[in-house]
Amino acid sequence: MSADDAELKALRSSVREFLEAKSPEEAVRKIMESESRHDPAVWAQAADQLRLPGLAIPPEYGGDGFGLVELGVVMEEMGRALLCAPFFATVVLAAQALLASGDDEACARHLPGVADGRTTATLAVAEDDGSWDPALITVRARPDGGGGWKLSGRKCFVIDGTTADLVLVVARTVAGPSLFAVDRSATGLSAEPLQTLDPTRAMARLTFDSVPATLVGTDGAGGRVMARVLDVASVALAAEQSGGARRCLEMSAEYARTRHQFGRPIGSFQAVKHKCADMLVQVELAEASSREAARLAAEGAPDVPVAAAVAHACCSRAFMAVAMETIQVHGGIGFTWEHPAHLYFRRAKSSQLLFGGPAVYHERLLDRLGI
Amino acid sequence: MQDFAAEARRFLDAHAAKAPDRTAVTWGEGDDSMAYFSSLPPEAEAEQVRRARAWQRIRHENGFGWITGPPEYGGRGLTPVHDLLYDAVESEYDVPDTGVLAVVGLGMIGPTILAHARPAVKERWLPAMYRGDAIACQLFSEPGAGSDLASVATRAVREDGDWVLNGQKVWTSVAQHSDIGLALTRTNPDASKHRGITAFLVPMDAPGVEVRPLRQMTGGADFNEVFLTDVRIPDDHRLGEVDGGWTVALTTLMNERDTVGAEGAGPVAAALSPDRLSALMRATWTWDDRALRGRLAELLVDAMATGYLNDRAQRTLRAGIAPGPERSVAKLMYGQNLTRAAHFVSECLGPRIIADTGRWGTYAWSELLLATPALRILGGTEEIMKNILAERVLGLPKEARA
Repeated sequence: MSADDAELKALRSSVREFLEAKSPEEAVRKIMESESRHDPAVWAQAADQLRLPGLAIPPEYGGDGFGLVELGVVMEEMGRALLCAPFFATVVLAAQALLASGDDEACARHLPGVADGRTTATLAVAEDDGSWDPALITVRARPDGGGGWKLSGRKCFVIDGTTADLVLVVARTVAGPSLFAVDRSATGLSAEPLQTLDPTRAMARLTFDSVPATLVGTDGAGGRVMARVLDVASVALAAEQSGGARRCLEMSAEYARTRHQFGRPIGSFQAVKHKCADMLVQVELAEASSREAARLAAEGAPDVPVAAAVAHACCSRAFMAVAMETIQVHGGIGFTWEHPAHLYFRRAKSSQLLFGGPAVYHERLLDRLGI
Repeated sequence: MQDFAAEARRFLDAHAAKAPDRTAVTWGEGDDSMAYFSSLPPEAEAEQVRRARAWQRIRHENGFGWITGPPEYGGRGLTPVHDLLYDAVESEYDVPDTGVLAVVGLGMIGPTILAHARPAVKERWLPAMYRGDAIACQLFSEPGAGSDLASVATRAVREDGDWVLNGQKVWTSVAQHSDIGLALTRTNPDASKHRGITAFLVPMDAPGVEVRPLRQMTGGADFNEVFLTDVRIPDDHRLGEVDGGWTVALTTLMNERDTVGAEGAGPVAAALSPDRLSALMRATWTWDDRALRGRLAELLVDAMATGYLNDRAQRTLRAGIAPGPERSVAKLMYGQNLTRAAHFVSECLGPRIIADTGRWGTYAWSELLLATPALRILGGTEEIMKNILAERVLGLPKEARA
């Protein structure tokens, strides 16, 4: 299913209106210092009023069956508002992993709860070194003799890891990396919150001590599932990054128009003006690359892996550059705790490095181009 | 729209072959030219002009010579979207390069004549231009008026009902092939600079018009200086009002942004192609150089994102919606991307780009390397483009100006 331009516009404005009411800066600051790092009441409203968690989940699992273009619109708006919510981990990482696994039974068990907002979920891949390369995974899964599995080892950088109801884990079996589902209350699972550079995105370290788990999809298929999830997640994250970058540009342009020094608006000085133009260029490239990647994905085009890698690299670089220059355009006020610029700076750096950072995503792009 | 595309395809199938993929490369095979400027010997250039005129005539005879033009002047009376659609379809075919008459003349001067000239002048020149018979150039820039175009100093003085022009123009593309030129002149030195300009159509064979080739840093001469000495122009060749030439110039410049943003064809298209660049890395044994690989990735990210930006602007236009700043951003990025590509390649090649060893696909890149500084200047310098983006898109205040 796909929305036409007018429907996308309507989706954008209803999400923006919702977030302006529910996730203004004061709310973001309050939630980012709370233990859960999200507001369950707002999450419930996002589900009940806007049906956001089910947006990109197929109708047979209780969702509305839209694709990455619509998901991208929502992510852009969430990035703008720095929303603290389990959306990315639940709807993008975990739900997409379930869908990519091809395991209808697991999808039928978990996705309806995700779609209606009752279940939050996450995907645990990276370990202490932060890599998302399935080949480097050390968490082990062993058959428990009764058709189930037991997981042992440690995952790190798990988004919403202390709060998610359902944890999907990529662990190693004799067949290779494989996807498993673990219940949050399973015995042997402990979660420890991590202090994060970006306080708007909670992360945790999960320790698995012979934790009961259910295999999702085919044993040994984790690498293939991961490649697919990484493409979708890169495109969704790129949309969030471009939304954040657009908001930073707007703040900077507004400030450059109104802040006076030497008797005139600082935006009339070419040094500041050109900095703002450079930021605009970055934002336009970011938006084009993330929206184009989403469009190609919705069409099922063969060059999605390349477009996803371009969008991830382009938006990561753009958001970081724009967030940094936002502080520079604002001068001293931009360096204060009270000003929101640092929240975007933190989000930008955290997002840029979440899946490995420039060295990793540049090689991924070259690899996908056959270079 | 679908019918129009099908009609264009039928016409092109009957008159041209499908274009080869210019970005695919087999190392050591085919033309390794990386020239941005053509820099052809005179006979070859004359032949290229002849072929351009001939192809434009065929387009015209088949209803594709001036897709957006009014029927009374030989146009088809369709929309800019049809025009873009035709360009997109034609780019799939191997047809003669019509840049010599299309980029400036048909793309910029034609729409300006249509908007501002007297009916007799329109009748005299527009059908001829779009039939490929007349070539037009733009006599705007001067040694003292580059980015600050409104400070043109070429004088036009009224004399017995005519106008007498004196001054010097510079960076004039295709002047040596042109039949007419659109000149901006100063008619009122006492008015503020934007209000004292008048535009004239100058027959390039008028006494007192002298075209001299201007050799640029690549070694070739793709531009000219045009000297105007006591050139007498009848008043009916005036475009717009007396002292109202700035409005005329803006019509031309609006159309310029449309043509310059659409670049990317020809041999330089290959400069940003992943296949071409990876073949080069293989051939130069720089394949596994981590630093170069990182830079290649950064370059490709920008080149491909710029491509997406262009694609999206095109689709927006096709849907009948005026695009935002995408094309200005794409133009800015195009110059920067090609510049970075040229320097990236030169570092892969090492000394092979500073002396010609005769090896295929090596020293040939020096042509692009030497052309790239122009891409950040022509059609609006990077600095002017950034001013425009910041002021028009972001609403930043203008600087205090003289």
